[in-house]
Amino acid sequence: MSTARNHRSSKGLLRQRSLPLAEPTAAPKFVTATVPKRLWFCVYLPSLPLEACGTGDEARVVVEEQKGIHRVLLASPAAEAAGVMPGQSANAALALLPTLRVEERNRLTEQQVLEQLATWLEQFTSVVCFAGGNILLLEIAGSLRLYGGLLCLRQKLAAGLEEQGFSALLAIAPTPLAATWLARGRRRACIREPVNLGSALRSLPLSCFDWPDTVCKSLAGMGIRSVGDCLRLPRDGFARRFGPQRLIELDRALGRLPDPRTSWRAPERFCADHEMTEEQSDRELLLVICRELLLSLERFLLTRQLGTQRVLFSFFHLRSPATQLTLGCAEPERSADHWFDLLRIRFEQLTLPEPVIAVRLRGGHSQALCAESGRLRFDGKTREQKLRYSMAQLAERLAARVGNQSVSGVTTIAEHRPQLAWRWHSLLGGGVDTATLLLRQGLQRPLWMLPEPALLAAEHGCPLHRGRLTLLEGPERLETGWWDEDGIARDYFTAVNPHGMRLWVFRNRSRELTWYLHGFFG
Amino acid sequence: MLGVYAMQRDSTSLDKLLENPRVWRGHNPVHASTGLASGYEALDRHLPGGGWPRCALTEILIEQYGIGELRLLMPALAQLSAEDSSADFLEPGWIAWVAPPFQPYPPALQQWGVDLSRMLIVRPKNDSEMLWSAEQALASGTCAAVLLWPEALDDQAGRRLQLAAEKGGSWAIAFRPAAVRNEASAAALRIELQSSAAGTRLSILKSRGGRPAVLHDVL
Repeated sequence: MSTARNHRSSKGLLRQRSLPLAEPTAAPKFVTATVPKRLWFCVYLPSLPLEACGTGDEARVVVEEQKGIHRVLLASPAAEAAGVMPGQSANAALALLPTLRVEERNRLTEQQVLEQLATWLEQFTSVVCFAGGNILLLEIAGSLRLYGGLLCLRQKLAAGLEEQGFSALLAIAPTPLAATWLARGRRRACIREPVNLGSALRSLPLSCFDWPDTVCKSLAGMGIRSVGDCLRLPRDGFARRFGPQRLIELDRALGRLPDPRTSWRAPERFCADHEMTEEQSDRELLLVICRELLLSLERFLLTRQLGTQRVLFSFFHLRSPATQLTLGCAEPERSADHWFDLLRIRFEQLTLPEPVIAVRLRGGHSQALCAESGRLRFDGKTREQKLRYSMAQLAERLAARVGNQSVSGVTTIAEHRPQLAWRWHSLLGGGVDTATLLLRQGLQRPLWMLPEPALLAAEHGCPLHRGRLTLLEGPERLETGWWDEDGIARDYFTAVNPHGMRLWVFRNRSRELTWYLHGFFG
Repeated sequence: MLGVYAMQRDSTSLDKLLENPRVWRGHNPVHASTGLASGYEALDRHLPGGGWPRCALTEILIEQYGIGELRLLMPALAQLSAEDSSADFLEPGWIAWVAPPFQPYPPALQQWGVDLSRMLIVRPKNDSEMLWSAEQALASGTCAAVLLWPEALDDQAGRRLQLAAEKGGSWAIAFRPAAVRNEASAAALRIELQSSAAGTRLSILKSRGGRPAVLHDVL
């Protein structure tokens, strides 16, 4: 890009002042002395979706739904040998190889695997960044001396990755984007000096960009096949056609613009042991030990302003495997008293097969605590603290003893079929919207519902339930549900029996003579 | 003894003494505003305080389910769940159902005006878990009302529930079979509900600060 061209496009410059059309100088001179040299190590895991699903030599594929069809995303070498290729439909792949193991892509596991790997990589440097698209970036300039040079570090990393079963593409460059592009372009490059960047990047194909397909296609249509071709294009036209972001990316890759990255930190977890000199079976003493551990957890979380939703106790025995006890609560919590309350409830039910020799407490993933400010009180009343627990705390306590499934709230669903017009919802999660069911005036619903309609005996076509039923109101015809399996065609009646019980009964329109009881008006 | 004590004090402490629910004064409606209106005027007239006793255990004896025992409570529960107590910092009260014999049907509850977002349903596995859950819910101070269906409720358990209700300031309602009519109970209010083709008969068997009575066709 010559200065003459910049002069010519000065009109454009005025119109789009924000565009960095002028080629940025490499680095201002007065900064050069203080900016330390950086070296970025890119770890690119092209077959992470396959590796996250498990390891093994057998023929496996990972499929992903594209426009309603499950297509092969990645195939293991054994599968590829049988002719399975990425892009095939899952059925075609199975036809080629009936013994093929087909797995759906799981992005959550991929993320977890990537985070585990990032935690492992933190031993090499303090700066590990997620760059998206199965790419991890490490800034290694500061670690070179410790690991005895670039070559040694690279070997160590490569060996560690291979040992963990990852087939990674590695590249080293002075800017993060250059390292990323080199790795994506499958170059085993190792560039130390920024001056060499240009020549190394020029020959890279367009596929190394993480740009949208439309951009790459239109570039290819213009006869642009490499990064070097892109760099030769006029800057203002390029920015206008493909967006200023692309131009910024090119400049960042070449080190003309700074490219700040946020480094990732593994979430901190608490883990503490209490070992005893001899085996103990005194439960009270064990509780005291657990309380001590919880107090140190509280101190740990307090200094970091964190809370956790889960804690795990392990009680170790000399001869049998450790007994585990997991406690959970609805919101991040750090108070030792709160956890101890929950522990006491669960500990009563815990059976320890043997005396205990050591106790370990591990905290779950820690999260930032968000405190809520109280409201200003205007009425001036000094009411004693009546509320001991919030609802979430009560639900936690009940769930700890009775079981998670046995404590729930209810909501209604806008649905005409009585058995589908409501559902359970967990109180431990977030809030739930309640649909307001609009029932026509005069239509009654019973307060008690039977879990399943009960077949009623009948006498001369008249239903019986502790005596002959008299129909009071009805019929209310509730029909259809052709869109799922639970279609109904029923006539509902309100009935009363000789004992004065009011019942909600129905008969199926298909079988006129059978009556069912569905609820009591209570 | 009580009388002597009262005479030594000025009239304000006498009033205070008379407000004590343990002092029985015949029909005089001393604390007219303390009860929770039941929504049935005939019943309110016979209950001390003009309604259901808050912060106490109420027993409802029934021979069978579905004879109107829920209808009897619904207006009061609807009022409780709608009560806006946010003015004094408290979360609005929840209504806990502990071990209901059938499924309380949400659309019907909504028809009666009960706020479903304040419902808590606990389905414990056995009676001891049931009593424990009910006691926790009552004493937590979070629940405005706790409905429970115990298989058996001995005197001691009843007393514990009564104490928990007082502590947490919530209304406990225990549904029990009519056969326990003659057993002693710590409940502040015991009501028997009988239903026949002729109508519903409601008998107040025991009422702390009130009198036994029999009412017909309340519902």
